[in-house]
Amino acid sequence: MFLAILTPKDPVDVSLDATLARRLLQKDVEAFEQLYERHSRIVYALALRILQQGSTAEEVVQDVFLQVWRNARHYDEQRGPFIPWLMTLARNRALDRLRLKSERQRRQESQTEELPTVVEAPQYEKDLDEKRRAERVRALMASLHPQQKKAIELAFFEGLSHSEIAESLKEPLGTVKSWIRNGLLRLKEGLQATS
Amino acid sequence: MSNGDQFRELIEAYALGALDADERAAFEAHLATGCEDCAKALQEARWLVSQLGYLAPEAKPSELLKGKLMQTVRGEADTAAGRVSAKPKAAIRFWMWAGVAALLAVTVYSAWDARRLQKDIEETNKRAAAIVQQRAALQAELALAKRQARIMTDPKSKKFMLPAKDAQMPQLEAMWHPELGICVVGDKMPMPSANHVFQLWLIPKTPGSKPMPMQTFWPDSDGRMVHVVENPPEPMWNTSARAITEEPMGGSPLPTSEPMWVGGVS
Repeated sequence: MFLAILTPKDPVDVSLDATLARRLLQKDVEAFEQLYERHSRIVYALALRILQQGSTAEEVVQDVFLQVWRNARHYDEQRGPFIPWLMTLARNRALDRLRLKSERQRRQESQTEELPTVVEAPQYEKDLDEKRRAERVRALMASLHPQQKKAIELAFFEGLSHSEIAESLKEPLGTVKSWIRNGLLRLKEGLQATS
Repeated sequence: MSNGDQFRELIEAYALGALDADERAAFEAHLATGCEDCAKALQEARWLVSQLGYLAPEAKPSELLKGKLMQTVRGEADTAAGRVSAKPKAAIRFWMWAGVAALLAVTVYSAWDARRLQKDIEETNKRAAAIVQQRAALQAELALAKRQARIMTDPKSKKFMLPAKDAQMPQLEAMWHPELGICVVGDKMPMPSANHVFQLWLIPKTPGSKPMPMQTFWPDSDGRMVHVVENPPEPMWNTSARAITEEPMGGSPLPTSEPMWVGGVS
């Protein structure tokens, strides 16, 4: 709850993203620059966390924002906020790079040219600003068992499957599945509780 | 446990991309059946997973990246603007044709208007000429009236009467000024016969001389007559009489009828 006090709600930001994204349809360079200024850090941070290499992470940032610029029509503001869509796009691009880098083509499901689905934020999250969300997510994840947190991070940042995580952590597959599912449900409950 | 419940446990892992191939395929096959509950739960799970991105340590990309990206974007925006401006080219052509048509219409109208103006000018000139002519006539008439007035009032003028041969007709009166001419005045005069006018004659004193023809004239509708002979061919002293006859229209060189009025200088 203390985070809610530290970071005031700013619902305007959400609609500003939608407005800026809408302006991209008109090839509005200024709108693009604003979107970049607002969200390039989180995109870069995510890509860097996944790829562990600054230059490749910047390539992903460039790729992601050019996708946004060129395919703004794929973002439907009626279906959900801009940030989750952008972060999912960034994660997909970064994981694609990671798989290419490690020549690990364990999945046929390549999302190289596919844009993510826009998802609606839960009611309890709709009016939160980015900074507040980040602090809450970090706080809630820090409260998980270290191995549970590790399993989720391996899936999210490295794109590993249940089996690969189990192998990496030397833990039973069932345990890993439970950790991940329970960890995510706990995160969800935590977000609901702190809204 | 329903069919949907069987897959509920897979939703979060699927959104995270952590399912192994067999489970992923099974879950996607279930989604393809149109399970709305799972689809809705997946939406929320996807949003939840996207929040994990905030776990990444804060970092900032280089300014160089922004510069490079903005350069690319501006270039593409310019290209897009070029494509957009390609359409107006056709519009420009259309407007050019529209402009040509408008210019043509204006030219035709201008030519028509110029011709109309020229006609107006010609009509105006005609009216002006008529007015000038009328004014000249009025001035001449005025000058004649002044001359008449002077002839009638100047002491140098000599008065003579022109009695009518027919007692039913009025007697005419005339004044002869040595410099201004002769003025003949009458009232209640009859109109000459059809296609005839009255003509004044001067009868020279010289024996055997023929009557000298003067101008022709006729009274107005009220029977009044004022006739001026500005430059008589003979001086007053060299004439013995004045006579008025009825002559064919245009006058005659010699009298063709008996004088209706005859008178000497008094």
